[in-house]
Amino acid sequence: MAGLQSAPSSPIQIFSKRNGSGIVTEPPKFDLESYIQNYKGRTRSNRLIHIGVFSAFLGVDALKLAVREAKAGKDIPRYIDAQTHLETIGPNEPEAVRDNAWIEQTERQNEAETQRLEAELKGYKSNLIKESIRMGNEDLGKHYEAIGDLPHAFEAFGRMRQDNTVEKHSVDVSKHLIEVAVEQKNWIAVTSNILKLKSVMNSGLEDLAPQPYIVASQALAQFDVGNYADAALTFLQCEAGMGQSCATIISPNDVAIYGGLCALATMDRNELQKKVLENSHFRSYLELEPQIRHAISFFINSRYTNCLRVLESYHADYLLDIYLQQHINDLYQMIRSKCIVQYFIPFSSCTLASLNEAFAAPGNAMDKELILMITRGELNARINTVDGLLEARKTNPRDEIQREALRVADEYEKEATTRIFHTQVTMAGLEVKPVKHRSGGFSSTPYTSFDADMSGSGLN
Amino acid sequence: MDDILPRLLAFPPHPSPALPLSDQQFDEGIRALVEVVKGISDSKLLQKTASGEHLLDFVNPSLNTASYTFILVANLNKAKQYEKAVDMDALWNNICTFLSGFDPRQIRYLGHELAQIIDTFANIAQRHHRIPLALPRIRDALIRYDPTGTVFTPKHLLLVKLAVEARSYDDVVPVLEKTILYIPGASEQPNPEFICNMTLSPLASITAHSSFVPKHTKSQDILEYFLLSGMAYIGLNNWRRAKECLERAITYPAKENGCSKIMTEAYKKWVLVSLLLDGKSPTLPMVTSGGTAKLYHTLAKPYEIVSQIFEAGTASRLKSEIETGQTIWQQDMNVGLMMAVLAAYQQFQIRNLGKVHSKLSIMDIHNATQSAEVGGKLGQAQFVRTLVQNMIANGSLDASLSYPPDKSPVVTFSENGPAMSEKMTQVALAESTHRIKALALQINNIDRTMTYEKEYLKHVQKVRKNKKNTDQGVVSVDMDWPGEDEDLMASMY
Repeated sequence: MAGLQSAPSSPIQIFSKRNGSGIVTEPPKFDLESYIQNYKGRTRSNRLIHIGVFSAFLGVDALKLAVREAKAGKDIPRYIDAQTHLETIGPNEPEAVRDNAWIEQTERQNEAETQRLEAELKGYKSNLIKESIRMGNEDLGKHYEAIGDLPHAFEAFGRMRQDNTVEKHSVDVSKHLIEVAVEQKNWIAVTSNILKLKSVMNSGLEDLAPQPYIVASQALAQFDVGNYADAALTFLQCEAGMGQSCATIISPNDVAIYGGLCALATMDRNELQKKVLENSHFRSYLELEPQIRHAISFFINSRYTNCLRVLESYHADYLLDIYLQQHINDLYQMIRSKCIVQYFIPFSSCTLASLNEAFAAPGNAMDKELILMITRGELNARINTVDGLLEARKTNPRDEIQREALRVADEYEKEATTRIFHTQVTMAGLEVKPVKHRSGGFSSTPYTSFDADMSGSGLN
Repeated sequence: MDDILPRLLAFPPHPSPALPLSDQQFDEGIRALVEVVKGISDSKLLQKTASGEHLLDFVNPSLNTASYTFILVANLNKAKQYEKAVDMDALWNNICTFLSGFDPRQIRYLGHELAQIIDTFANIAQRHHRIPLALPRIRDALIRYDPTGTVFTPKHLLLVKLAVEARSYDDVVPVLEKTILYIPGASEQPNPEFICNMTLSPLASITAHSSFVPKHTKSQDILEYFLLSGMAYIGLNNWRRAKECLERAITYPAKENGCSKIMTEAYKKWVLVSLLLDGKSPTLPMVTSGGTAKLYHTLAKPYEIVSQIFEAGTASRLKSEIETGQTIWQQDMNVGLMMAVLAAYQQFQIRNLGKVHSKLSIMDIHNATQSAEVGGKLGQAQFVRTLVQNMIANGSLDASLSYPPDKSPVVTFSENGPAMSEKMTQVALAESTHRIKALALQINNIDRTMTYEKEYLKHVQKVRKNKKNTDQGVVSVDMDWPGEDEDLMASMY
């Protein structure tokens, strides 16, 4: 990877430069207000804090907003988190001063509320009224979620399930659990709850759990564990009309970006055309993020340089996304490799100069990146350093098949002979055995008796 | 004297009859002759003919193999008692002619004598420092005795021992390249009616009855044969065959996680030879016994470390690792192989470059590769050129070298390794088919034996009986298996 540092246009390079501090210094293309409007609930403040920490440009604004919103709620750790960050980058802001009075007061209120809810729940339990217990647990879970105690919230919501009476209840439970689990990045729990939701959906209660909600959270789970190919397919199933229904988890814009990038990184030209651009549901999402649609059409039309340029211009934005930050460089690298491979396919050989022109920054060579790709088996070619060419390997299928046939035959022969020999050794009772009752571990003197029956006495 | 001559030459009839002798006639004839000749005293056999000729020069070893064998044995016995009494040079020549010329049909009745002659011959060769001269003769004798070469005999071991002792390997390759499949005495062979039947399987003709081989073959003999064969191929720098031979030793069946010293030695060499052959750490063949594999990893740890560094480490680390382990390699007598590994490091790097590059200048190769012998870059690009030239010359690198004017020489790597012509491929495929068909036949035979073999059936019966007993709740403590009580003890602690 070190070799790539000579080519600044490579995403890896940019990342490694920024990664020193993790701070993005370029001005983002989006507007904070309209961006954050897409989200509700805890993910909203999470995203604000994330932008606050990593953007040099929007940091102060984002954190101010985060502090204000946290104070409106009752989540003390969240407030302290936002406020501490603001204190470091914008100490002169009025919000940067820690409001200890608020903290104390909220802490007291929170504690009282927790005790009250616990006590109520106890009362319901002794009365054995199912619906009350369920609701008690729900209230408690919501409270825990609001004060930022996610593990307890998850537990409380989980306890709701045993008192479910109608199917709507199980949908509620699953949705609560998915929301908490997404924030904890507990993707296994997310996936299992999605499965439960899906089974409910089949029984005709679609309006309770809209399709986009299920699909988007499932895709997000696949995406965040790095399973880009599956994530792409799942995102693409997302039906139009998500609106604000998933605002606590993901926005329609995110669906377009995550899905589009995953598809670009893992699908071939035909698939991209058929499954992405001609997908009427997904088109409505792509309209929200036209640059992704541009990148995909550039790729399909073999204009790789433009495709990469478009993506590159949005790189800074994507680094400010809480999920994309971890994956964007992998995705970009995959897309870039794919572009290089696609670019080279029609040629039997092409000059390294033309490749440099298309993919590397001026004055830089991309030999090292090519070598890496060849050794990884992504590019079926060899480099001619002397004449400055990249030459495709000529394959001779007939020759290869014959070679392979000979190799397999040879292997079979070897194994068959060994096995025949083994049966002979076994029949003769000539296996090597450890010699017992003697110090020094194993000796080279093996058993030579004919049969185990006789050997027992024969050896000792 | 002359009275015994007709008796000695009585069989086989000369000139040979128009109708070849049937197996039965041959069997009766030769048994009668052996009976008669055995009755003649050694001193008579040592007499000269009326014309003053030595009997060994008078009787034709290819025609009258049986009689000749006994005369030879008589001479050898005499020489053993008092060497000066015999003309050793003449006797040596007689043995040589005999070993490369005996009649493979008659000799089947004389296994014991043949074994004796080969032993004495080897002994003489060792004492007179003539091993390299003796090797081709013993080799010929073994091939004449069993042209298929699939049956292991102690004489195989003797041959390769002598070869390794004299460091003369070329002559024994024809024997070593045959694959050992059978061990005499491993399975009850149906007693053949006539052992002179030339269509008999080699195993049937070399059973323990022929007394060419001892009643019980020892497993360490077989293992030693494989190990020494591997070493012989190492001596010939034939890594592929060396690996195969050593593999036979390390996959030798072992019971109860056993492992013999010879197997461990073979494993150590096998790791290094695999490095030289493929440039990477080998994976144990599927047929290796599981427990044995674990033992190998413990016992040959230093070797595995070297192999890992070779695959993924730097030249200087490899160098220092090998230097640190110097005493281990010396004890195991693997210093030479280690030197070869050191030298091979850069060669593999150059070959790997050929996978990524189609053309490279010597200068580039010089910068991109490191020598483990030096522990870094070679001193001058000139040395790299010599190395590449040597590799191309000995066929380990498929490339060509060109000298553009005023520039560093250029190496052009060929694309897909050495190309096989259509004809060569056809031949190779046909040969492979033939061999596999032959194997299929062997497998059928084994299948049959497994079905009718007495020992095997007994074993199956026993297993069934045991199972039945345990099913009925009767725990039968099988004292026949020494392993079981051992395990019980082990689990107590």
